[in-house]
Amino acid sequence: MRRYPLLFTVLLIAALVLVACPAPATAPATGGQEAAQPAAGGQEAAQAQEEMPKVIRIGAAVSETGRYAREGGDTRQGYILWMEWVNNEYGGIKVGDERYQVELILYDDESNPDTVTRLTEKLITEDKVQFLLGPYSSGLTKAASAISEKYQIIMVEGNGASDSLFERGFQYLFAVLTPASRYTQSGLKALADAGARSAVIAYKDSPFPKSVAQGAEQWAQEYGMEVLAVESYPADINDATALMAKFKELDPDVFVGAGHFVDGVLLARNAEEVDFTPKAFMLTVGPSNPEFVEELGKTSEQIIGPTQWERNMAWEGPYLGTAEEYAQRYEKRWGEPPTYQAAESTATALALQIAIEMAGTLETDAVRQALLDMDVVTFYGPINFDETGKNLAKPMGAIQIQDGQILVIAPEEAAVADLVYPMTPWKER
Amino acid sequence: MTRVSGLEPVSLFRRREIWIWLGLVTLAALFPLTQPTTARLLMTMQMFLLITLATNWNLIGGMTGYVDFGHLTFFGVGAYTVGILMTRSKEVLFAPQLPFWQALPFAGLMAMLFAFLLGMATLRLRGPYFSIAMLATLLAMRELTRLASPLTGGGAGLDLPPELNRVQEYYITLGLMTLSVGLIWWIRNTEFGLSLLAIREDEIGAEMRGINTTLHKTVAFSLAAFLTGLVGGFWAWQNTYIDPDVVFFEPRNLEMIMAAVLGGLGTVWGPPLGAAVLYWLREFFWSRFLLAHLLGLGIMLMLVVLFLPGGIVGLMGRRGSVSLASLWQLRPFASSQQEENP
Repeated sequence: MRRYPLLFTVLLIAALVLVACPAPATAPATGGQEAAQPAAGGQEAAQAQEEMPKVIRIGAAVSETGRYAREGGDTRQGYILWMEWVNNEYGGIKVGDERYQVELILYDDESNPDTVTRLTEKLITEDKVQFLLGPYSSGLTKAASAISEKYQIIMVEGNGASDSLFERGFQYLFAVLTPASRYTQSGLKALADAGARSAVIAYKDSPFPKSVAQGAEQWAQEYGMEVLAVESYPADINDATALMAKFKELDPDVFVGAGHFVDGVLLARNAEEVDFTPKAFMLTVGPSNPEFVEELGKTSEQIIGPTQWERNMAWEGPYLGTAEEYAQRYEKRWGEPPTYQAAESTATALALQIAIEMAGTLETDAVRQALLDMDVVTFYGPINFDETGKNLAKPMGAIQIQDGQILVIAPEEAAVADLVYPMTPWKER
Repeated sequence: MTRVSGLEPVSLFRRREIWIWLGLVTLAALFPLTQPTTARLLMTMQMFLLITLATNWNLIGGMTGYVDFGHLTFFGVGAYTVGILMTRSKEVLFAPQLPFWQALPFAGLMAMLFAFLLGMATLRLRGPYFSIAMLATLLAMRELTRLASPLTGGGAGLDLPPELNRVQEYYITLGLMTLSVGLIWWIRNTEFGLSLLAIREDEIGAEMRGINTTLHKTVAFSLAAFLTGLVGGFWAWQNTYIDPDVVFFEPRNLEMIMAAVLGGLGTVWGPPLGAAVLYWLREFFWSRFLLAHLLGLGIMLMLVVLFLPGGIVGLMGRRGSVSLASLWQLRPFASSQQEENP
C-alpha cells in the first residue's frame, strides 16, 4: 500500500515532463516521413535548397490505419502526387513574384476521432502549418474542421461529402467534391430523359448514404419521376432479399441504392436472386470501382453508378493536363490506377494552390477571398465554391458498366458512351 | 477464497497516498500555466479521460467483481443525453435547448438511471454470463441509437455547437479524474468498499453475513455509470459531433478495460497507473510502427492476462489486486454453491 502511489507519482511526473518539453520524439508519427521532407529528391530540389527557398507549410491528418486505411491511403497518395509535382516540376507555388516550395506534413489519424482532433491541434499549434488539407470521411472532417475553424486556418478538403458539414456556418472550410445530395443528379436526369417515370430508393443508415438518398428523392421528383418507396437498411446488413422482393412488387423503372461497396454488391446479388429487374439499377460507390466488376461478373453489367471523377471524363485544366494525363502520371508514380478519392485529393491541394496564386499572398483572409472568387476548370472538373464552401459547379458524373468497362454516360459534356436503357433483365444474361 | 485481500483496517487522511495524489493533482492543475501547446494539453486531457474511464470500470469490474464488457454503454447514454439536450430538445422534448453546463449533469443522471434499471436485470447474472449480457447491451444500444433517428439523428448523428476551449476542457477532465479516483479511494476505505470486496470474493458468504448484496452491487454499478456518463457527455461536446460509430467506438471500450487490467484490478492506484502507461506506450512507442500498433496492443493484453495477472501493481508485490481470470473462475463456483443452498 505504500510504494505504488510513489511509482505512480514518478510515472505521472515523467509523463508530464514528456509533454512539457518539446521532445523531438514527437516527429511525424508515421509514413509521413517521406512526405514531411520538402521532396528532397531530384537536382532541382537540391538547387532550390541552395537558393534559400521560401516554404509553405501545409498539413493533414489522414488515416493510414483503421477503418479508412484504404481510402485514406488513396487520399495520401493524391496529396503527395500534387506536392511532388508542384515542388519538382512546377517549380513551387507562385506568390507574387516569388516561388514557394511546399512542405507537406502528413500524420496518421488511425481513423479515430480523438486522434484526428489531437493531430489537427498539433499541426496548427506545434507544426505551425499555414493551411490544412482534409482527412478522409465526413465524420473525421467534421471533427477536424471544428478545430481549424477555431484557429481561423483554411481547410480545403475533398473527402467529406456529407451536406451537414456545410450547415454549421463555417467560414474557413472548402470542399472540391460534389456534396452527397447531388450524387445521383446527373444519372437520374439521363434516365428521366430516356423515359424513366418511377423510382424506388434504398439507403444504408449512415450520414453519407442518407444525404444521397434525400437528394435522390428530390432530384427524381424534379425530373418528373414518381418516388414509390424510400427504405433504409442497417449498416451491417447481410441479406436484402426481403427488401428487393418488396421493391419487385412496386415494379419501378429505376432503383437507387445508396451505400458503400460491400452492401452495393449485396443489393445487386439479392435483386438478381428474387428477379427484381427495374429498367435501371443505380448504386453509389461500388460501380465506379474496377473490383465491382470482378466481384459480380455478368451481374454488374449495365449497372449505373454516380462518380466524382473518372479518367475518361473530358475535363482539362491548365495544371496537370487532362483527366487521362493525370491518371497516367498517377499510375507512373504509384503503380496503380487512381481512384476518384485520389483524384479529388490532388484536386483539393490544387484548389488551394490556385487560391494562393490568385491572392498573391499567404494571408488567410486574402486566400479565403480567392477561394470564394475562384472559378476554374481542372483535370478534376470545374471548381467554384459557394459562400458555404461547397463546390456546386462540378456536376456529378454517372457511369454505366458496359461489357465490363466503366464508361461515363452523363453529364453530356463529360460523357464518352451512350446510356443503355432499359437494361437487359438478369435472367437473359 | 480464503485470501480476502486488502482488508486491513484503515483510517482516512492518515494515508500518505492521498497526499501524494492531491500533490499530483495540484501539479496537473498548474500545467496549463506553463503555456503548453493545445496539442499537448489535449494529449494530457485524453490521458485523464482514459484514467477516469478505467477507474470507473474498476469500481464495478475490479472491486465488485462484475466484469463489465459493455461499460461504454453508459458513455454513450451520457454522450447522447448531452447531444439531444443541446440540439434536439426543442423538437423532441418541447423544452428549451440547454447550454453545455446545464446539459452535462443530466448526462450523468441518465446514465445512472439507465444503469440502475439495467442492473436490476443483469446484476443477477454472474461471471461470464454478466460479461456477455453487458456486451450484448452495448451492441443493442448502438443499433437502438441508429434506429431512434428522430431522437438521435440515426446513423447521421448530431452536430453539436463547436465551442472549443482547450484550457477549460482540460480542467473539466482534471476535475472528473480527481473526482473518480478520489471516490474509489474513499470507497475502498469505507465499509461500503469492504462489502464490495466481500461480494467479489464470496457473494453468498457476504449475503449470509448480512450484507445487502443487491443494494451494494446496484449502487456501485450506478456510481460507475454516473461518472462514465459524465465523461461521455463531456466527450460529445468537445468532439462537436456524435454518431453511433464514434460514440460506441470499440477500441475505447477495450482500452478502458485493458488499462484497468494492466494496472491491477481491484486496487485504487492500479487503473490510473495502467491508463497512464498504456496511453504513453501507445503514443510514443506503437504509433511509430503503424499496423503493428493494434497488434502490439492485442499481444500486450494477452501477455498481461497470461503472465501478469495482478497487473503492474500486482507485480510490485502483494498489493491486493486480482486477476481477470480469477474473477470469472470464482463465479461458477459461487453459483453452484447457491444451488446447494435451499
